Amino acid sequence: MSVAQGRWTGVALDHQIQPASSNPVVLNGQALAVWRGEDGPVRVWEDRCPHRGMRLSFGFVRGNTLRCIYHGWAYGADGQCAEIPAHPALAPPKTICANSYPAETRYGIVWTTLGDGASGPPDLGPDEGWEGVRSLFVAASAEAALTALARFDFGAGATTRMLAGDIVEVSFGPELRMLVVVQAMDDERAALHAAAKGARATEERAALAKRLERLRADIEQA
Amino acid sequence: MTVTTDPVALNEWVPCAWHGQIAIGAALDTMIFGQDIRVERTGDQDYRVTTFGGDSPRELPVQTRYTCVFTTLGDDPRALPEIPEFDEADRRITGCGRVGVNTSPYRIVENFLDMAHFSFIHTDILGAADQTEVLSYRTEHRKDVDEIWAIDCTFYQPAASKAAAGGQLTKYLYRVMSPFSVMLYKNVATDPSRNDAICVFIQPRRETECLAYMPMAIVDEQSTIADIIDFQQSIFLQDRVILENQRPALLPLDPTYELPTRADASSIAYRRWLKAMNIRFGILEKQAA
Ligand code: FES
Ligand SMILES: [Fe+2]
Repeated sequence: MSVAQGRWTGVALDHQIQPASSNPVVLNGQALAVWRGEDGPVRVWEDRCPHRGMRLSFGFVRGNTLRCIYHGWAYGADGQCAEIPAHPALAPPKTICANSYPAETRYGIVWTTLGDGASGPPDLGPDEGWEGVRSLFVAASAEAALTALARFDFGAGATTRMLAGDIVEVSFGPELRMLVVVQAMDDERAALHAAAKGARATEERAALAKRLERLRADIEQA
Repeated sequence: MTVTTDPVALNEWVPCAWHGQIAIGAALDTMIFGQDIRVERTGDQDYRVTTFGGDSPRELPVQTRYTCVFTTLGDDPRALPEIPEFDEADRRITGCGRVGVNTSPYRIVENFLDMAHFSFIHTDILGAADQTEVLSYRTEHRKDVDEIWAIDCTFYQPAASKAAAGGQLTKYLYRVMSPFSVMLYKNVATDPSRNDAICVFIQPRRETECLAYMPMAIVDEQSTIADIIDFQQSIFLQDRVILENQRPALLPLDPTYELPTRADASSIAYRRWLKAMNIRFGILEKQAA
């Protein structure tokens, strides 16, 4: 695998994880459920209900609990099972707990790690002002996606810089910067998450998204 | 995968076609436990099953019962179960065809044994959203026939069957006849003294690739066979979405890997029984490292 187990990786754009939704994500072959309550932060859990293994990304959100679709077990934000509908009078044992991973939103991107999370997501400066541009899912390894991304021509005046093993910054002058994070799904699939910041970020968003679409063709042809 | 070497799985009879699926004189190629087989219909009630691919072809034993054609790769297989309801003259006997499900056979059996999902997956049909409780029931290992039974099961059902006119408290009796077959008896809306008998026989093609057959012996004078099949298939298709999205698809037998509650008593008994018979095929912990 290209991404070390302990490292934080971007796995979604913050605005794509809608309130009261649960979404499937694959990171390094590990299936995750990325969900948000009716309000509050994004959570990243193993995509497997502790009861009988149903994927929690199929679950539904009520308030700030995630319910598994199979038997309706409800899990609180801390992962603890709070209710078992088959036994309404029973207080669920503490041992029933969804397996969760560290999660943080920064630069308009949802970050997680399959490790212990001690280091935190990368520090690329202040968090204010970033907005998500788009995510791109490609049929290529993360390495191939990174190589094509580093070489890609984003247009006149754009400079591309590798910030960390899987993060690229594209600068279009003082008024526009874009971050692109590469997420390894498995050996043959990767996702790219892009966010932008600067005075021109909002007006250029559609144009940036279009350029990323061309990048996909480059990656998959390589 | 290659053909399983698990002697426990090999010594079970499994379905390989439903009676009527193959025209007389025709043949169907399929697979059991990773072994390619050819099922030929040689006469009205006569079938011939042979292996092909790999080693030299051999002819396998065949029997036709409960609307299905059964075969086995084992030398000393467990006998097919006795289900006397299929011989009662006034029963509607139907097979419901077969449905492909990409998971291990045991996940299918457990889903069939499970009342706790009715309110969520079969809402307004087999369960009501506001009546989710599973009352306690008993399980037993019947050693004389080596079967697992769940008895005294009840559940409130808004529309229990094709023949049901309204909600009812349905009584269930479950019976696991082999690792790959399970059935239930449920009380009939029109006649409290009788039970509908509904079976699932599973053809494991590979460890996480199955075909499910649903023979039924039903007490229902009104509904057409097509209606009965329709009802049963629509229920099963709701289950299939769940079955194909359980992780892992292989069954874990370690009791700490998945955490059951009282409503899962039948699943707990089934897993214990599988563990005691030391079956390896389709079991998570028995995969070669
Ligand atoms: S598998 Fe999730 S509640 Fe049963
Ligand atoms: Fe079901």
